Amino acid sequence: MNKTTKFFLVLLICIGIAIPAASFAGRMDLKGEKITMSILGIAGWFPSKLGVDMSPAFAEYAKKKYGYDVQFTFEEAPFETLFQKAAASLATKSDDYNIIVSDSQWLGGFAAPGWIIKLNKMIDSNPSLKAIQWYDPIVVSTYMSYPLGSDNYWGLPLEGDTMVLYVRKDKLDDPAERKAFQEKYGFDLPKTFEDFETLTYPNFVKILEFFTRPDQGFYGIAQHYSKVYDFVCTAAHNYIWSRGGKIWDNKTGQVWGVLNTKENAKSLEEYKASLKYAPPGAVNYGNSEVMEAWNGGKVFCAIMWAAVGQYMMEPKGGKPMIVPPPAHLINGAGKPNRVYSMGGQPWVINAFNDKTKQQVAEDFMEWWYTEDVQMEFARRGGNPVIKSVLNKPGFEDIKPWFRGYKWMLSDKKGRDFWHNPMYAVMLAKQQEAFHAYITGQVKDPMVALNYAAYQLQKVLYDHGSSKIKPPAEGAKIQLK
Amino acid sequence: MSNPSMNKAMLQGVPAAGFRGWLQNLENPKYLQHLLLAPVLLFFIVWNVIPLLWLVGLSFYKYVLVTGEPLKFVGLLNFEEIFASFEIWHALSNTFLFVIIGAGTQTFLGIILGFIFWDSKDLPGRRVALTLIFTPMILAPLATGSFFKIIYDPVFGILNYFIQGIFGVTIDFLGSSAWAFPAVLFVDTWMWTPFMMMMTLAALGSVPKAELEAAEVENLSWYQRLIHVVLPHGKFILMLGILLRTIDSFKSMDIIFTMTRGGPGNATELIGITLYRQAFNAFTMGQASALAIIALLIAIAFTSIYLYVFKKKEAAA
Repeated sequence: MNKTTKFFLVLLICIGIAIPAASFAGRMDLKGEKITMSILGIAGWFPSKLGVDMSPAFAEYAKKKYGYDVQFTFEEAPFETLFQKAAASLATKSDDYNIIVSDSQWLGGFAAPGWIIKLNKMIDSNPSLKAIQWYDPIVVSTYMSYPLGSDNYWGLPLEGDTMVLYVRKDKLDDPAERKAFQEKYGFDLPKTFEDFETLTYPNFVKILEFFTRPDQGFYGIAQHYSKVYDFVCTAAHNYIWSRGGKIWDNKTGQVWGVLNTKENAKSLEEYKASLKYAPPGAVNYGNSEVMEAWNGGKVFCAIMWAAVGQYMMEPKGGKPMIVPPPAHLINGAGKPNRVYSMGGQPWVINAFNDKTKQQVAEDFMEWWYTEDVQMEFARRGGNPVIKSVLNKPGFEDIKPWFRGYKWMLSDKKGRDFWHNPMYAVMLAKQQEAFHAYITGQVKDPMVALNYAAYQLQKVLYDHGSSKIKPPAEGAKIQLK
Repeated sequence: MSNPSMNKAMLQGVPAAGFRGWLQNLENPKYLQHLLLAPVLLFFIVWNVIPLLWLVGLSFYKYVLVTGEPLKFVGLLNFEEIFASFEIWHALSNTFLFVIIGAGTQTFLGIILGFIFWDSKDLPGRRVALTLIFTPMILAPLATGSFFKIIYDPVFGILNYFIQGIFGVTIDFLGSSAWAFPAVLFVDTWMWTPFMMMMTLAALGSVPKAELEAAEVENLSWYQRLIHVVLPHGKFILMLGILLRTIDSFKSMDIIFTMTRGGPGNATELIGITLYRQAFNAFTMGQASALAIIALLIAIAFTSIYLYVFKKKEAAA
């Protein structure tokens, strides 16, 4: 063997060793280890439970691919207290919860104190994660970025979610109803998904009016109005955004003058007016109450998250159809426009995990976005977010709400709000103001908007998130 | 033979050495008392005094749990903001109404029920009746709130089913600003009247039988018996019951939180709910601490007023 041959042989051996080593570069070798991971999820929320239910399957994947044993423990808290539970643990730098199911708006609250890890480095160094193609840019802005719309990624989507309209197909198909409606309003009741794509809010209101029959215990609509958590805000935002309004300037943090406008006051009026067609007690409607009214056969339609479709398939005495929610008219008279609140939750990873758990969390994320897992997630009723799955032929037929969900999952039709560390404070103030208006505590919507705008501007200014000072006169505004 | 007085003098005056000496010190009642009190005092200091001081300290700082920023000293700003807030004044006024009407009604009904069941050992079904009457008091407030929320529901609730059947109308008990406050007050009264009844029974039970018999022999009227025999003996326990109910009503939040979250609007907003929201929804710990201090001072004031009135009447008697 001459020198050249020897040289090439050694080079070949080196390359042979280097290639597999390179593919695991930066990866901690956990072969043979036994690891316990804990997940904190949202109690009573189907998609979160689904993510948690499926996680043991990761154990097989991890054993096969990386050679370690992993088991999971789970803890839960309802939406409104989950952040509180997680924050109380993370504030003490605890790794009680290695992976947390967050709500999208909490990203700022988790990220700013350094409680969760910034994922850019992990995504860049992991070829599988880097290669993921999300269905729409809104997936990235809603579930991953803080500040909203930036390239700083702090979460990865557990599931996507959008607002959809659940309607009673049996009522729409009933010839007697159709005839009576046509005679009264001069146009046909919508019947197909495509009909609802073009349905405008003024016509939608006529449908609500038509089906509101208190003498029969039947009403037009159930949607969120409650003071709890973010319910009244998410529903009011649907009206504000779809009618062309804004709630703040994401870049400058300006709220005063953006939220408290006459146009937004009209939007709140329209939102409040929908209560005429809702069952009594609707001012306290959150997720569970909307579902109860719908499943109890008390309403013709419900504007609700696609995520709970699994539990809204059997309204008492009727058949459901899931379609896009109505398009509002810009400023009440212009072009049809549809911008609804985004739902869904990202996974976030505890920054106080040790290196082993950090690695397992990364492996878990890698597994979660494999096509097989995402398809299984979809088959079980979860809303996936990766392009290859949503674009698969037949995807829309897997579950009845998938077509509506996919149709709404677009940055033209959905928007998330306030990925800011002060989110919790801002939400508390705005919920208070909006609920005060819809319950009649405050008669003028401008008072509620002025109050919210001043309070939010103050919160952002005091925190340093905005350089815009709240106007002095705003301090006098009270919710009365 | 040892001289006991000499031993005592030795124990009290001469410091004993080592563990044995320490044990000997225990024979001194003064040391023993302190030693027995020590665990309780330690518990009190760790769980009451230190958190209270912490709370007082925090009330002078701006601290939002979720920003990750250090505490910022703001002096009395948190208190100023509280006193300038219409929402907090409204919650305070709701709370006082809740306390006065709630504790007042519960005391009144509790006394009536107490008298009905006083000395009623031969009443048929007494045990069953008492068990049923006391049941609300032992239920978890969250459970009570949840099932009353369902009972009150205007669409699915049983109460509205009957109201609709009888009067042909539906009342939105928890969704209407006019009805929500009386509705939650009713639940609180349903739950806590048995407590006042129990206190009344205890108060009546403390009246010596001999005095009652003497009153009977003297042919005193029912009213005279109440004023001259029953009240002088029973008022201590009754006052304690009223005091406990007042303080408990003042910090009430669980039942209302489950039923209305302080809504609709701010119709049922009590100070306890505002406090919870500030601390655990908005995470503004500094301001929540300041509000907690104010609530604590009000509760102390309540207690002091009661004790003052009580002592004054006792002195007059």
